[in-house]
Amino acid sequence: MSILRKRLNEFDDALNAEEIDLINLKRLCFHGIPDEGGLRPLCWKLLLNYLPSTRASWSETLTRKRTLYKTFIEDLIVTPGEANSDGERVDVTLHDHPLNLNPDSKWQTYFKDNEVLLQIDKDVRRLCPDISFFQQGTDYPRKEIVNASGQRRLHHRVQHTVLRSANVERKGLGVTKIAVSVRKATEDYAPLAEGGEAHWEVLERILFLYAKLNPGQGYVQGMNEIVGPIYHAFACDPDQTWREHAEADTFFCFTNLMSEIRDFFIKSLDEAEFGINSMMSKLTTQVKVNDSEVWMRLHQQELCPQYYSFRWLTLLLSQEFPLPDVMRIWDSLFADENRFSFLIHICCAMILLLRDQLLVGDFATNVKLLQNFPSVDIQIVLSKAAALAGKNLNSP
Amino acid sequence: MAKKTYDLLFKLLLIGDSGVGKTCILFRFSDDAFSTTFISTIGIDFKIKTVELRGKKIKLQIWDTAGQERFHTITTSYYRGAMGIMLVYDITNEKTFENIVKWLRNIDEHANEDVEKMILGNKSDMEDKRVVSTERGEAIAREHGIRFMETSAKANINIDRAFSELAEAILEKTHGKEPQDAPDRVTVDRRVERNSNRCC
Ligand SMILES: Nc1nc2c(ncn2[C@@H]2O[C@H](COP(=O)(O)OP(=O)(O)OP(=O)(O)O)[C@@H](O)[C@H]2O)c(=O)[nH]1
Ligand SMILES: [Mg+2]
Repeated sequence: MSILRKRLNEFDDALNAEEIDLINLKRLCFHGIPDEGGLRPLCWKLLLNYLPSTRASWSETLTRKRTLYKTFIEDLIVTPGEANSDGERVDVTLHDHPLNLNPDSKWQTYFKDNEVLLQIDKDVRRLCPDISFFQQGTDYPRKEIVNASGQRRLHHRVQHTVLRSANVERKGLGVTKIAVSVRKATEDYAPLAEGGEAHWEVLERILFLYAKLNPGQGYVQGMNEIVGPIYHAFACDPDQTWREHAEADTFFCFTNLMSEIRDFFIKSLDEAEFGINSMMSKLTTQVKVNDSEVWMRLHQQELCPQYYSFRWLTLLLSQEFPLPDVMRIWDSLFADENRFSFLIHICCAMILLLRDQLLVGDFATNVKLLQNFPSVDIQIVLSKAAALAGKNLNSP
Repeated sequence: MAKKTYDLLFKLLLIGDSGVGKTCILFRFSDDAFSTTFISTIGIDFKIKTVELRGKKIKLQIWDTAGQERFHTITTSYYRGAMGIMLVYDITNEKTFENIVKWLRNIDEHANEDVEKMILGNKSDMEDKRVVSTERGEAIAREHGIRFMETSAKANINIDRAFSELAEAILEKTHGKEPQDAPDRVTVDRRVERNSNRCC
């Protein structure tokens, strides 16, 4: 029996149990989840605590969550004054209107939301530009969105914000001329026509809903890089029934993952126990312990961990490697029972692998090297990281 | 230590709201190319380019920062060592222009007092979508006594010029201060590096 066949069998056995042994599953996933048979999206759903370990309760959980997601869309993606579903138009002028300055005004919320949306819009259009996936249409557009004559398309809203906010702000100056040009989207990330929807539009909605539901945190740049690989994995599931619900499933898995790494995204928590600064100093300490020469070099050059590892850690390395490698790294990260201590080991391994170059490079060369990590066999990085963690990594 | 291939080292910083085109500007300057497909900057990025000014080889060390508020604690720590700062806004986006004032305040709070500043109104190729007139850009620059230019990273308008004017201004300043400039002097370099790092 081939090694791959054997691994696939191990996964099948683990996943087909009535009561899935998560410890065993984590052990398997740590060494990498095979790309075959939709194993990765399924395992990630378990590792991210979306699916319960009892198989029998999957269908109830999924139905509940997916219905909930549907209500999020219905409740949170609305335009004030939009036609009611029964076709009757609410007379907003009586109660609420775009120039209403009352903070409870739906229009005020709408405009504030649009600022968040504008940022999300810019970022989802800049996601993984080296692959074409996110620009392509999904097979499962949200019907309630795409058939609403553009009304509920999120990017549609921000095309107008510039115009609308300028309009509101300048009203006191008696400005009468209003630009009527509608912003055109960046060519490549063009939204699809009525009835269709590109993958980046789906991500835009997930991130917007997340920001609405987590107002204390809102949307922070980089979240797009976290949600991207999860959605990609789910939306490429070979099983059509899973694929169809990729959006809702991604939303909940992303939310769960964010609850574990949200401290990285909150400025006021930079100094907290699990904030980004403490992660960076853990990394520095680990480099020092394992290779004092490299540590000394970086220290003398005053090459701070912020210059490179802020991004490594915040984004779980998603900007440092090509997508397939990122997925492989995340298999191990999500399987890490000691949440994200393995992330530090990987980062440390990355630095140690560059030791010879770092020891001769000057400050500028070294910053560049660390910010643009050279392409390597990801297995080498992970094996080294596993060794640092006192573990052994099986080859795939 | 490797032999120095430049006479002076200037450290520059690009700041401004997210999406105004800082990364594109820097990419145009360092690689002479434009790509619409940039990932958003998380934290801080770094590029080097050597230019020649008045017979001197000047190595520009340019830091490209992330625009969003969350990253300010990370990015403001770089202000201190910067000798020149480019403040960028997007001429098709009113808000990014209004925020220039906020960015100027950040500079006052965190940068060296004698830092050279320049305001750039980027995306000047999008004339049909312009909402901030050239006059308003000029006015705010005049008000704060700062250089101003409209640029386009896409159409390659004024990008090189902006960087060389900024470098020129810094050169003038360092000249005034230190009249004799031996080729492998590292004072500028040192001063910058020592001041800038509170983080290790
Ligand atoms: N038409 C036009 N578009 C531009 C120009 N410069 C940048 N852009 C576009 O503006 C978008 C944002 O550019 P970036 O350089 O990534 O913006 P940034 O300021 O680095 O943004 P952050 O990294 O999020 O802070 C990209 O999609 C570019 O295609 C320009 O001169 N003209
Ligand atoms: Mg950028």
